[in-house]
Amino acid sequence: MKLMLSFVTFLILSSNLMAAEIVLQNPKVNEQAPAFSGIDSYGNTINLSDFIGQPVILEWTNHECPYVAKHYDENNMQAVQEQAKREDFIWLSIISSTPGDQGHVKPSKANELTESRSAYPSHVLLDESGDIGMKYGAKTTPHMYMIDSEGILRYKGAIDDVGKGMQFFSASLKDAINYVANQLNDVKDNRQLEISTTVAYGCSVKYNYD
Amino acid sequence: MKNILLSCAIFISSLLLANPVETGHAKASLITNLQDPNQESFYVGIRLQMQEGWHTYWENPGDSGSPFDAVWATDEGVIVENVQWPTPITIPYPPLMTYGYEGDIVFPFQIFRSQETNLKEIKVDFNFLICADICIPESASLSLDLSVIAPSEILDKQIRSLPTKLISTESLIKGGSLVVRFRRDAPFLNAYLFPREDNYFSYPETQQLENVADNIYEISIPLVSANLESFSGILSLDGEGFLVKEELQSATGGMSLWQALMFALLGGLILNLMPCVFPVISLKVLSFVSMGGDDHTKIRNHALAFVGGVMSTFLSIATALMIIRSTGSMIGWGYQLQSPVVVGILTLIMLGIGLILLTNINIASGLTSLGTNIQSRNDYSGSFFTGVLAVVVASPCTAPFMGAAVGYALLQPSFATLPIFLSLGLGFAGPYLILAIKPEWIGALPKPGAWMETLKQFFAFPMIATALWLMWVFMVQTSGDALIQLLILGLCLGLAIWLIATFEKKWRWFGLLATIMLSIQIFNNLPTPSVMQADANSTSWTPTIEAELQSNNQAYLINFTAAWCITCQTNEKAALGRDEIQAYLMKEDIRYIKADWTNRNEDIAEGLAQYNRTGIPLYIFWKPGMNQSKILPAVLTDDILIRYLR
Repeated sequence: MKLMLSFVTFLILSSNLMAAEIVLQNPKVNEQAPAFSGIDSYGNTINLSDFIGQPVILEWTNHECPYVAKHYDENNMQAVQEQAKREDFIWLSIISSTPGDQGHVKPSKANELTESRSAYPSHVLLDESGDIGMKYGAKTTPHMYMIDSEGILRYKGAIDDVGKGMQFFSASLKDAINYVANQLNDVKDNRQLEISTTVAYGCSVKYNYD
Repeated sequence: MKNILLSCAIFISSLLLANPVETGHAKASLITNLQDPNQESFYVGIRLQMQEGWHTYWENPGDSGSPFDAVWATDEGVIVENVQWPTPITIPYPPLMTYGYEGDIVFPFQIFRSQETNLKEIKVDFNFLICADICIPESASLSLDLSVIAPSEILDKQIRSLPTKLISTESLIKGGSLVVRFRRDAPFLNAYLFPREDNYFSYPETQQLENVADNIYEISIPLVSANLESFSGILSLDGEGFLVKEELQSATGGMSLWQALMFALLGGLILNLMPCVFPVISLKVLSFVSMGGDDHTKIRNHALAFVGGVMSTFLSIATALMIIRSTGSMIGWGYQLQSPVVVGILTLIMLGIGLILLTNINIASGLTSLGTNIQSRNDYSGSFFTGVLAVVVASPCTAPFMGAAVGYALLQPSFATLPIFLSLGLGFAGPYLILAIKPEWIGALPKPGAWMETLKQFFAFPMIATALWLMWVFMVQTSGDALIQLLILGLCLGLAIWLIATFEKKWRWFGLLATIMLSIQIFNNLPTPSVMQADANSTSWTPTIEAELQSNNQAYLINFTAAWCITCQTNEKAALGRDEIQAYLMKEDIRYIKADWTNRNEDIAEGLAQYNRTGIPLYIFWKPGMNQSKILPAVLTDDILIRYLR
């Protein structure tokens, strides 16, 4: 009987877990950003709460995705990172690709990419399980989130306004309206943004779903 | 040997057909259904044969991905329409969901060309995103030799299966989902609604289908944002696509049937005060005033006759609109004024009324009830006719609330059309209906007296002013020559009225005859509509202008207007045309676009339909950063306008 009960409990628990695993959350802007903890490319444990007092930017990335590749090849993402760094932002590049899928990298490769692309992330998080991605509802690479120094989510969406359609691949990223770069000051001042939610564009985040 | 010949033949014919291009994970080619080298309208399709396991995307790709981009190199005089999207399929990539196509798909484009165009070849740069679990942007430069006639059955098959039928829906937001109710008589197993809007729906969540009554179904699409004002898309029933388009309940646009009825009632009531109706209505009010001392039955009957005239005219207009629309013609409120003949006749009616009022002539016709003639007190047909006339002259006006209601009425299934028009009529006739119910309230009106005669004569001037305005409309629609003909007709009308009033019966006949003969003369020389010129500071509207400007991040303000739309003209004087506004538009780099509907134009009608409108005025504003363009109020002042533009 006991065995039976625990089996049933196990079934219920596991089905709940499975359901939770494939549902993307949808955090609201101007509310507390979901807390998370992850491992960076140097093996350190990084908590979002470590950065209270400093604004944070989350960048979902996958270096093999053509959308991400264009942003890095044209030195656009790096330019935004540099600008954010100057404004004392913490920049977390997050890779939610599951092992074996596109974009998944070993820690050493992640550091090599940062080096070779002259990128300025504060940390690169390796989110193999996709937990952080699901908490934030990250759908695409790139997908951007801005959190103010009090831990309030201020922005979620696309990095800029040129992602709609195939024109992206011939568009000039320098001339785009960059929602992240343009709104750094407002986030720094813990203010609500004029444009707080946009539709992210790019490749799908390669979550583990099998 | 035979085989080699055959494969050679296939190779050559495939070269001639479309020059298929291998793009990496697909084969792209151009096909056409052109059957005759002189055909002015035909289709060209981009056929994409994707490798197994690969897919490309629909207009709204879902959680990730991108629709394709086709850049056509065309000669002058050749128009390539936007793609007509085939019904997509769901391509789940848990926990994400994308919408697109797999296998062998054709994207059809309609081509129009003028006869002078010597179009021999058509070329396109086709860029698309093709994905399995990874995505690759691929492209092909395709060209098609149009001198070789080889109509493609594959293309025709795709065109036949395109979603072209609009399925009518009634939707509301309930418990975090959009619940879309529709009717389907034929049985089906699976339903999926592919929403076109990209910021409101949770694509990965299951859409629940429920059979709520016989042949009536409800499908729930989970939302991530509840401030959805309108939606459109494709409803796929076992793979057969139907177009869906609806405005939802909100302050500005979409509404329920209930709201539409209320808006119609309110709009109808306000219509009484609009400048084109006011003179006719005030005459009716005067005639009621003159009945001040009369017995209540008489007042009630006159009021009811007037209401009857109003209601039956609204009913006729609704029926006519429904019949004409069922033939596929896009027409709406005020459409009759797109015909110079109708404008001409209305001009003469206004002029005639003006003359009769001014000269105080008694004519034994229905028109007498316009005045305060005592003998005609029992002539209820006069009151009825005034009701008819009031609606006819009201047609160029759109009162606040009315545009949305009439738009709703005409774009809804027919069971909603009649009630809304009746509600409009009820609102319009409301004050008189109250008079019919409570005839004693007439005591509240001022006492009749000699002042009424003076006021009646004064009302001749608003009537003639209306006639002048209609003449201007007529001139814009036609030409100065045609206007002179109309004025000659007006002169004859004046003469006829004078003859009828002054002389014996035989002269009356003469007058009538003269008028008829001249009318025939005018109708024989029916003017052809002329093309309106855009103002120097505005751009002309085209069906694709919004998409173009949005993709260029160019803010814009669209003014759907017409010479016959007096509300539009007033708004232009009060707001849009003012120097400060034009300077503001210039300063803020907002492109000002005019869509002139003075003459019939199916494209503009369809443009209005995109905003669920069938009438004007309609003002659309968009600037970078806005998800959707915004509908501005129907009555504008410069303050209101600036506030919205900010």
